[in-house]
Amino acid sequence: MTRDEVVEVIKRNILDNLEDLDENNIDPDKSMKDYGANSLDIIEVVSCSMRELNIKIPRTELADVKTIGQLADKFMEQIGK
Amino acid sequence: MSERIALEVREDGIAILRMQDRDKKNLFSDDFIHELVTAVERAEEARPKVLVLAGLEDVFAAGAEKKNLMDLCDGTVHVKDLVISEKLVHAPFPVIAAMEGHAVGGGLVMAACCDMVIGARESRYGVVFMGLGFTPGMGCTKLLQGLVGNQIANEMMFTAKRFRGSELAGMNVSFNYIVPRAEVMPKAMSIAMQIAEKNIDSIYLLKYALSAEKKKLLIEARVQEDFMHRLSFGFPETRRTIEEFYAGG
Repeated sequence: MTRDEVVEVIKRNILDNLEDLDENNIDPDKSMKDYGANSLDIIEVVSCSMRELNIKIPRTELADVKTIGQLADKFMEQIGK
Repeated sequence: MSERIALEVREDGIAILRMQDRDKKNLFSDDFIHELVTAVERAEEARPKVLVLAGLEDVFAAGAEKKNLMDLCDGTVHVKDLVISEKLVHAPFPVIAAMEGHAVGGGLVMAACCDMVIGARESRYGVVFMGLGFTPGMGCTKLLQGLVGNQIANEMMFTAKRFRGSELAGMNVSFNYIVPRAEVMPKAMSIAMQIAEKNIDSIYLLKYALSAEKKKLLIEARVQEDFMHRLSFGFPETRRTIEEFYAGG
C-alpha cells in the first residue's frame, strides 16, 4: 500500500466523522483540528483508519503526531513491518 | 461550594448543578465523586422542583480516571463511581441532563440515570468500557437501554464506539433532543421552566412512581456488573489495554 492510499483512507474517515467537509479541501499538511475535529473526533478517525488498514498503534505512540500527513507516515511504518 | 462542582438553586425552584473541573475535564477522581455526591445531597436539602445537570462546554462527564482503573486491575479497591448512579436514580426530583460536551463511559451512564436528556450534535457519546478491556459498570448494562434502545445499547457496549451526536440524531435513540451545542442549555432551561410551573408535591409523587423501575434495574445491574468486574479486571490483557488505549486526561 502506498502513502497516498493511506492518506486517502484517513481522508475518507475524516469525511465520515465530520460534518460539512469536501474531500478536495482536506490538506494532509494540516491538522484534523483545522477542520473542526475535537479530541474524540480525532480518536474515532484514527481508530477507524487503523481498523481499515489492519494495524494497531498504542495511543501513546501517536501523541506527537500533528498533521494528517504525519499520521499517514506513522501508519506507513507499521504497514511496512 | 467547591470550584469543581457548582450548585445554584433559583427562586423559581430550578436547581442547576454544573460539573466544571477544567483541569481534569470532569473525570471521576475520588474527590470529584465525593463533591458531586455532596452537591446532589445539598440540592436535595433545598427541595427544588427540577435539577438541570450540566458539564463543561466540551466535556459533560468523562468517566473513570486511569489511576482508579489501574487500582481495580491491582484488586486494591472496589468500584466507587456506582454511588453517582445511585444518587441520580434516587433523586426525589426530576433531573435533566444537559450535555453540551462529550459523555463517555460512566459519563454517559449518568445521563441514562436522568429523567430527560439533551445532547449536542457536535459532541460524542459512548460507553468505552470494552475498548479498555473490561465490562461496563455504573449500571450501564441495565440503564443504557432506556436511553438509546436495546440494540443500539448493545452496539455501543460491544463496540465501545463514541457516536457523534449528529449521528445519534439520525438513529432511533431516546434522547429528548439532540441540538447544536449552543442550544443545549436553552432547551434544558425551557423544559425546566415548564416543570417549575407545576405543584412540587405532585412533581415529587410522579418522580417517585417513575423512578421505581430504574431503582430496581440498578440493583440488578450492581450484582451482575460487580461479578463481571471481578473477572474482567483480572484478565492480564486488561491492564495492557488500559495502558495503551486510555484516552482520558
